[in-house]
Amino acid sequence: MNLQDFLAMEESRERDELIDLRSLDLVSEYDSHLMCPICHCPFVEPVRLQCDHVFCGSCLSSAINSFRSADSDEFPCPSCRNPTQKVSASVPRLLINMCDEIRVLCPLITEGCQEIIPRGHVQSHVEKYCGYRLLPCPDNSCDQMTRSKDVGMDQKCIHKVRRCAHCKENVLEHEYEEHEKELCPVLEVTCADCETVVTRGALQEHIESCPEVAIPCAASKYACPVKIRRADIAAHEQSCPIVAMGPYFETQNARLKSLESSMRHLQQRNEIFEDGLANIRSTLFESTRLGANSHSGGQPPQSDREQQSSARVDAHTDDPADLAAGVFSSNATTYLLSLHESLREEVSQLSHAITDLDARASMAIMNECMRIKEDIAHTNAAVNSVRMQVQWLMNPRLHQGTRGGAVRPSSTESEGTRTNMASSVAGPSHATGQSLGPLRPRRPSDSGREGTKL
Amino acid sequence: MFATKRLSKMQEHVPPGIAIVKCDNLEEWQMDIKILDQNPLYLDQTYRLKFTFSNKYPIEPPEVQFIQCPDSTGTPRTIPMHPHIYSNGIICLDLLGSAGWSPVQTVESVCMSLQSMLTANNRNERPPGDQEFIATNRRRIRDINFVYEDDNV
Repeated sequence: MNLQDFLAMEESRERDELIDLRSLDLVSEYDSHLMCPICHCPFVEPVRLQCDHVFCGSCLSSAINSFRSADSDEFPCPSCRNPTQKVSASVPRLLINMCDEIRVLCPLITEGCQEIIPRGHVQSHVEKYCGYRLLPCPDNSCDQMTRSKDVGMDQKCIHKVRRCAHCKENVLEHEYEEHEKELCPVLEVTCADCETVVTRGALQEHIESCPEVAIPCAASKYACPVKIRRADIAAHEQSCPIVAMGPYFETQNARLKSLESSMRHLQQRNEIFEDGLANIRSTLFESTRLGANSHSGGQPPQSDREQQSSARVDAHTDDPADLAAGVFSSNATTYLLSLHESLREEVSQLSHAITDLDARASMAIMNECMRIKEDIAHTNAAVNSVRMQVQWLMNPRLHQGTRGGAVRPSSTESEGTRTNMASSVAGPSHATGQSLGPLRPRRPSDSGREGTKL
Repeated sequence: MFATKRLSKMQEHVPPGIAIVKCDNLEEWQMDIKILDQNPLYLDQTYRLKFTFSNKYPIEPPEVQFIQCPDSTGTPRTIPMHPHIYSNGIICLDLLGSAGWSPVQTVESVCMSLQSMLTANNRNERPPGDQEFIATNRRRIRDINFVYEDDNV
């Protein structure tokens, strides 16, 4: 259906809705996919847009009403903003069933209904089955409401006030029976133990003093198992040995308690002292170790020291201070020895690593050298070929130059008038000859340089 | 109408960098947001957002703006520098206008949008015409007609 139809349908539907399904208290968690993204409640009468997004019908209609630009037949989906023209009420039955199956509390919980029902049944429960729904009182003259479970077969008004015949209290009609049977304080009851008849109000008091009620012996906390009638308890307590011992037990208990507390106190102090002792020991150990470290010598002085200390230990085993010192020094020596061992290991590891690195570096250098050598050979070849070509190119010029050089002296010798012309003609060739001049001696030196490079 | 449930649901789970400061009624909430990445403009800063819900929320957008807290409150908060945030805290973001709002949005999603808007920014400046705007604006946020000219942010 298009948007207009949908809005009209929603408007007509809202009128006959009675229970707000969104305000129900859910008992259990429900799948988040069943949640309408607008109201964040499980879908109520869901509808589907063209883009397959599902919303509650009423949520969608209010969203359409506030978002649709006036009288356009398009509406952007709140979730994906895809324009949509059609709203489909045919949502998968599965979805509706899952939403209807969510367990909720009866909305009449305020009236006392404790029932947990599937959400789909709430409407019918509240309308038909809930015992706590309020109905107008069957008596037309009474304007109060009655819970449906209180409306009996006889359709009587329960709001009539009835005066209790015994205690002169005003009691509602429907509570009268209960009052009469159980609550009225004037009613008489018989004590279960002594068969005395007392009023209900005085029953508690009676039980406190009833001679027939069985009560435990006064020494029950010191394990006297006797539990007899109140009347006989005095006689028992006179003969009960545990009652006689009672005061003694009490003083013993008190003494035990005080001893326990002092013991706890002493334990704490002892712990503090032990901590202090351990601290002192560790500082002593530290200082002896420092002393041993300051010894400049290596192994021999240490072993000397060890011997000395062991000798001293042998000599004065009865002296506890000396013994402690001996233990500390030998401890220091072993510590140093182990330190030495670990350092030695570290050094050997390092040397291994260094040789490894060395090998790798030389390999790398070798590889690089090979490559460079090849490169240089290539370059050499190229340079050679260039040189050959240059030589080949230069050869005719050189020949010309030598020819020019040969011509010039002869002409200067023979005809001075021609000299200008000849020199002007020979000039450039002479210049090339000069420029070639440094080329030739350079060649050997170049190759020499290349040789040293290699 | 059903905003109550919707809002109370959020308190169970809050995304990282977002904290609820005040949510004792359904008209005004305050949230603290932090920018979680290393953007130097907002590093180690926390900003306070004020949400004002109308009774039509979530069909109508909430009013959202940054607010300042003085040092004396123990939690000093400033207005972040951003080319779309005026120095009185009003935010020019199409999501928050009635045209760009979608009822699917939540307080969390708005906070996360603002986080990402700040994260993506690298200009330490206020919008053009900031001073005149804060001096002259007396309208409520929802009545301001912003022109959302910048699509980059």
